[in-house]
Amino acid sequence: MKKVYCEVSKCVGCKSCEIACAVEHSKSKTLFIAISEEPMPVHRRNVQSINKLIISDACHHCQEAPCVSACMSGAMYKDKDGSTQHDEEKCVGCWMCIMACPFGTISRRKKLAIKCDLCKDNVKGPMCVISCPTKALSLKDVQRGEL
Amino acid sequence: MNYIIIGASAAGISAIESIRTVDKNGKITIISDENYSIYSRCVLSYYLAGIVSEDKLKYREDDFYKKYNVNAILGKKVVSVLPDKKIKLSDGSEIPFDKLLIATGSRSKMENITGIEKEGVFGLRNIDDAKRIDLRLIKTKSAVMLGGGLIGLRAAYALHKRAVNVTVVVKSKHVLSQMMDEEGASFVQKRMQEQGINILTGLAAKEIIGDKEVKSVILENGNKIDCEIVVIGKGVQPNIELVKNTNIKTDWGIVVNEFLQTTVPDIYSAGDVAQSSDLITGESTINALWPNAIAQGKVAGLNMAGKNVKYSGSIGMNSVEFFDLPTISYGITKPKGEGFEILIKKNSVKNIYKKIILKNNKLVGFVLVSDVNQSGVYGSLIEKKIDVSSIKNNLLDNNFNFAKILPLISENRKNFTEPEYDEILITNK
Repeated sequence: MKKVYCEVSKCVGCKSCEIACAVEHSKSKTLFIAISEEPMPVHRRNVQSINKLIISDACHHCQEAPCVSACMSGAMYKDKDGSTQHDEEKCVGCWMCIMACPFGTISRRKKLAIKCDLCKDNVKGPMCVISCPTKALSLKDVQRGEL
Repeated sequence: MNYIIIGASAAGISAIESIRTVDKNGKITIISDENYSIYSRCVLSYYLAGIVSEDKLKYREDDFYKKYNVNAILGKKVVSVLPDKKIKLSDGSEIPFDKLLIATGSRSKMENITGIEKEGVFGLRNIDDAKRIDLRLIKTKSAVMLGGGLIGLRAAYALHKRAVNVTVVVKSKHVLSQMMDEEGASFVQKRMQEQGINILTGLAAKEIIGDKEVKSVILENGNKIDCEIVVIGKGVQPNIELVKNTNIKTDWGIVVNEFLQTTVPDIYSAGDVAQSSDLITGESTINALWPNAIAQGKVAGLNMAGKNVKYSGSIGMNSVEFFDLPTISYGITKPKGEGFEILIKKNSVKNIYKKIILKNNKLVGFVLVSDVNQSGVYGSLIEKKIDVSSIKNNLLDNNFNFAKILPLISENRKNFTEPEYDEILITNK
């Protein structure tokens, strides 16, 4: 399985990834129109910092995903490729996933939980990676041991 | 191996999934007294509210049992566990097992109030409860919830959405008294009242009156509320009757050790019926809620299939949203005794409330209203018992997020064992 890694030393906190993510998950998929959509598209990646350390963080697609265990409606699931995906049709907005995510990477839009889906519907792959001007973000294979 | 699982809700289904990760061929039989597809009882109030259809109660595919090669016996109750590794069903038949999981859950606690047997008095626990309430709505103008806990409030919210006049009668000083402090709960209570739900606190019902059907509820203070529906939300009671006359130790629920074994070999228990240790307080208790049931089912299943996995303990936590006001409570929210430190930040205008409870510089609980998105970050600090002295002053900051605990992760590598943390630190160089 692949996920998006952030090389902290290269991240300058420009937030290009946040914008690319929000636009990719908008209806129109263009920035100019997306900003006037209702509800506003939400970015699933967040640029955060502490002291001089800057990191762009999003769902880690955990091997043993706490959000999947916590989801009482079956909306959050592990996909065949190992990624953690969310079926918005099934979400009831109970926020059990938010309570469970140790990275705080799930947010709310109206009654729906919102998280990184690795841009699974876009053949180009995660738009945050494409948008990153310093190449801090990259899509790489995950090396995790057996459970 | 011949596995039997009693109960087809969160813990039972989770156990099937985990057994099959280890044992692909063992024989698994699941027995449930409910003759339905796998459904989520936590979503029932959303169904009653008309927010989701019956189909959306299902959290696993219809072919789940087939896919996992499970023999499902539905609509039959297990009446007792027999001494020689057998169980007995309501129809008198007996089934032998090698490994047994008791995941019978709990039921609505029905109070000893006069008139509770009348038509129109319900619990809200099973799909049948929700359907019966739904059917009665056609002749319902008003409803009374007895109990201001999660069940009472969820039922109140649902019926309010269905245009019923709702009154909640709460014995405690405030709603959600089990899961939240008074101030945090006041935000929820106020929001519900503003939206037209009548909440009476510090009061109990004395009698439910009516002929065959409910007509009204008489309160302790003599006041009478006319209603066609009464929902009892007085907590739940574990279904432990089937282990009577066995050597399986029970207390409030079925007592299990850290491997989720009961006191009888090869018999395990998980979910709302299982009494295990609380991760934060260490007390033997039941934190009856979905994520704990799933986690316990998983550990029990692995151990039944021959692994040796320890359960870290259950956590008292809850997340709920009423009228666009989300709240999450976690761990110790109403500290009693010495040595606790409490951090609070609030803004009544914006309905923001954050309360963090520490002991010995470690987080032991929190209550969040409105701004709940970073709950899980706090939760991980609680679960991993991390000394947060160095970031104590920043815990309540508006921009508190995962990055703020990166130094703590570096300092406490042995506590953050999940591979995902390695993936962050690798990129950290």
